[in-house]
Amino acid sequence: MSAPVATTSSPAVRRSRGTVGTHLVMALFVAYFLLPFWWLLVAATKDNDGLFGSEPLWFADLHLVDNLRLLFTQDDGLYLRWMGNSALYAATSGVGATAIAALAGYAFAKLRFPGRNALFALLLGLIMVPATALVLPTYLLMAEVGLVDSVWAVILPSLLNPFGVYLLRVYAHDSVPDEMLEAARIDGAGEFRVFRSVALPAMRPALVTVLLFTMVASWNNFFLPLVMLSDQNLYPLTVGLRSWYLSATIGNGGPALFNVIVIGSLVAIVPLIAAFLLLQRYWRGGLTIGSLR
Amino acid sequence: MSARSSSLGRRHLAVTVAVVTALSLAGCGSDGGEEQDGPVTITVWAWYPAFQGVVDLFNRTHTDIKIEWTNAGTGQDQYTKLQTALKAGKGAPDVVMLEFQELPTFQLTGHLVDMSAYGANDLKGNYVDWAWKQVSNGAAVHAIPVDAGPMAMLYRQDIFEQYGLTVPTTWTEFREQAEKLKAAAPEKYMTDFGANDGGFMTGLMWQAGARPFGYDVADPQHIDVNVNSEPAKNVMSYWEDMVDAGLADTTAYGTTDFYNGLASGKYATYLAAGWGPGYLASVAKTTAGAWRAAPLPQWTAGDDAQGDWGGSSFAVTDQTEHPEEATRVAMEIFGSDKDAWKIGIDEAFLFPTATPILEWDYFLTKEYEFFGGQKVNEVFVPAYNGIEEFQWSPFNSYSFSQLTTAVGQAVEEDTSWPGALDTVQQNLVTYASNQGFQVSR
Amino acid sequence: MTRIRPLPVATDPVATGPTGPTVPGGGRRRTAVRRRFDRQAAVGWLFVAPFATLLLVFLLLPMVYAFKLSLYRSTLVQGEVFAAFDNYRQAFADPEFRSGVLRVLVFGLVQTPVMIGLALVLALLVDGVSSRFARMLRLAAFVPYAVPVVIGTLMWGFLYSQNTGPFRFTGIDFVAGDTVLASLGNLVVWQWAGYNMIVLYAALQGVPREIYESARIDGAGAVQVALRIKAPMISAALVLCTVFTIVGTLQFFTEPLILQPLNPGAITNSYTPNVYAYNQAFSYQQYNYSAAISFLLGAVVFVGSYIFLFATRKRSSLR
Repeated sequence: MSAPVATTSSPAVRRSRGTVGTHLVMALFVAYFLLPFWWLLVAATKDNDGLFGSEPLWFADLHLVDNLRLLFTQDDGLYLRWMGNSALYAATSGVGATAIAALAGYAFAKLRFPGRNALFALLLGLIMVPATALVLPTYLLMAEVGLVDSVWAVILPSLLNPFGVYLLRVYAHDSVPDEMLEAARIDGAGEFRVFRSVALPAMRPALVTVLLFTMVASWNNFFLPLVMLSDQNLYPLTVGLRSWYLSATIGNGGPALFNVIVIGSLVAIVPLIAAFLLLQRYWRGGLTIGSLR
Repeated sequence: MSARSSSLGRRHLAVTVAVVTALSLAGCGSDGGEEQDGPVTITVWAWYPAFQGVVDLFNRTHTDIKIEWTNAGTGQDQYTKLQTALKAGKGAPDVVMLEFQELPTFQLTGHLVDMSAYGANDLKGNYVDWAWKQVSNGAAVHAIPVDAGPMAMLYRQDIFEQYGLTVPTTWTEFREQAEKLKAAAPEKYMTDFGANDGGFMTGLMWQAGARPFGYDVADPQHIDVNVNSEPAKNVMSYWEDMVDAGLADTTAYGTTDFYNGLASGKYATYLAAGWGPGYLASVAKTTAGAWRAAPLPQWTAGDDAQGDWGGSSFAVTDQTEHPEEATRVAMEIFGSDKDAWKIGIDEAFLFPTATPILEWDYFLTKEYEFFGGQKVNEVFVPAYNGIEEFQWSPFNSYSFSQLTTAVGQAVEEDTSWPGALDTVQQNLVTYASNQGFQVSR
Repeated sequence: MTRIRPLPVATDPVATGPTGPTVPGGGRRRTAVRRRFDRQAAVGWLFVAPFATLLLVFLLLPMVYAFKLSLYRSTLVQGEVFAAFDNYRQAFADPEFRSGVLRVLVFGLVQTPVMIGLALVLALLVDGVSSRFARMLRLAAFVPYAVPVVIGTLMWGFLYSQNTGPFRFTGIDFVAGDTVLASLGNLVVWQWAGYNMIVLYAALQGVPREIYESARIDGAGAVQVALRIKAPMISAALVLCTVFTIVGTLQFFTEPLILQPLNPGAITNSYTPNVYAYNQAFSYQQYNYSAAISFLLGAVVFVGSYIFLFATRKRSSLR
């Protein structure tokens, strides 16, 4: 065999440029993942007749503006309400859940209090409980206190984020220096002050991750709002679009709103995708948190 | 549990009757004759299309009642919410839209108000027998009918002409024409059979004389279950043959494939309900002018057997604090009000149940451009009048689900359709027994 | 509660907490320290209180309530009666429930290797190739995760259409009885492969490059490096992705529910245990039976995941 090649490359990555074969495979996968979005884009420009009749992957008569107008005027601008609701639920659940998880995670990691380990063990044990098993009993419980069919019915349960607590605990444990905590305490800062000025900044990457993931989960949430809400003015986009879809497929519920559903889906995901692309580094950073050392 | 009817301790029956009559005849508001501190708010759940216009009309013409309308979901979605709200004791609306098939289910909960105490029986004369029997039990009235779905056959005039088909009057003829069509145009079907729609299949079996359930709200613990009766099996057998011979398609109703089939001429006929014309016009715009309406084919030549598919009513829940006003809303929001029905007919494509509206020229002789100017309701109204009594089970969502699943699976797996009815029978008898009913055939 | 797909974590779950400063003898000192720790204890509980309350109200309480519900029977005619474990007995004998369970088990067993395998392939590709395409792939695969499951399902529902979908040239009926499960599987893969890919990719990033270098020097080809070296090094991440995929498939709910109108004969009301539980409660008002099914499913998932994690603990570095 040839003599060992002197490695002149730095310890940094030296990856191959890839063969034609691998590029072909990658191109196919890219097409697979993006095809439905292309379809959605094209379909959003069609009216119902176009949807039922024309070539699915290419444009027919353009009705994009009509569709948009229809979308925002349908049912007196109900779609915009749904969007507002989704944003409200996502923002409040996200911020709320993250704040609560940050406090709890920090406390588990850095504060000594009786019952801490037991409570944490309980948390771990409960992480695997399937959420769907809880929705119905939660509904009946909330009905008892008259909170159903309100924004609280959707927001309050979403504030519970055991995995976020776990994540933040791990992160706080690893990245909040005890010395700095002590120093702050010695300087006379109260515990909350210590938390706010020392721990929070140190935990920032993990906080952003938990915030983002919670907001996405809330934006995408379907089952909980489906069960809790009867007033369509309180629906988030997921439940709202599905209710239009049901009307369209049920037949005697009126005109089939497929073109509105299609454009509604497009408009619903555009901000998400934009946010994703812009906040890429947080996603990637977040997913490495807690990964193998 | 019997239906609780709260008594107000006042009897304004005469005044109420006078007001109702005045309102329904004049179509304009007048003082309710009761002392209030401002209009009573009545919450209504309904999913009728174009309903906002009807609500606005009511609110404009009534100074003592104000309707707050919510669309709480379509079909089962709304029923689920209603069930849980009734069970929880709060969250239910004053007035709720209930399809005929769901009425026994909700009567059984005991949470529907008997509206006869508030003058509902005064409307009895406005509705034909079978429709009034859907919503009442003797003198007790638990809902006011709104719309119905008498069945008829909508067919493509142009396709019939092109292939020399004649309009069938019996199911045998229907099959013959289907075979003729298939021979000439193998890619077309005579019709699409929606095995995913319990109301559709039940309507067809209703026409054939099948009576799957015998249930009397006055004797709530007892139910007759006879889903796999002869007439029902005949209907299933017929359609199984039609599908096996490639004469009928099995695409699920309400899917884009189905709409595509209607719009592209894949289906030469569409077995529709009274709300079908408007529905068809909205989903198959490119075929405007090509359709016509004809009565549903008969099993025996010369018969006038009819079936119904869908239809709804307004009921009042016992969570209302104003049963009298709620009853008035139920009675008057559509009732026989011509202005409200104009919206209902033109924009929501509803088929009215109130006889005054059925006989109203505007409705009866309305020319539908989509049907080449045909006065389509002249087909549907006799169909409506020819419908006979029918009873539903008090667990309709379960029954429909069993029916669509069993027939759907028979279609998928190519097994016997009448056999599917036997399965349904068995499952429903077991279910009913488990639920504490005394079951008989 | 918020349902986030958990991330693989390797560190010891219950590590020791911070140690306070050592206190050399002295009664007053000790009292001061004790007071400090008392204060810390109070603050600790204060900080944890919101979370603990939520845990109690929205997790424990409903669980208990669900269990209590499942011990009763509620008939349409007679109302609620105590039935002990009758509901559970009924579930075990219920053919619809059993076929639903079988279905998700089969689904999990088939779909998980496909998903994880694909995610691994993608991760290896994206890790091993440094080109614009690779970056594009990394992004493209992750975008479906951003889309709500409801919308993704609606989109694919249209794409599966036989008359108007782009795949109609294949002649396959995607929602027919024997193909619909595979179609649903495709939906899940499309939605989640990218997420799993990123997780595995992140794990790969943590592998020291020197290992590859020495393998290369020894003559190993790219594929061999990928399979024999990279993959085993991220086995912990693989195990965790697998667990969470299985857990997800056992609870399969949204996609079948949304696609059901396309073919209710194939996607029945008891298609998966969760769909069955949902319909029992919301279509048939059988809340008690529904609670029993949910509880049963929850228990199986719960116990199963812990057994799996325990069995693979060496691999997943969780001790």
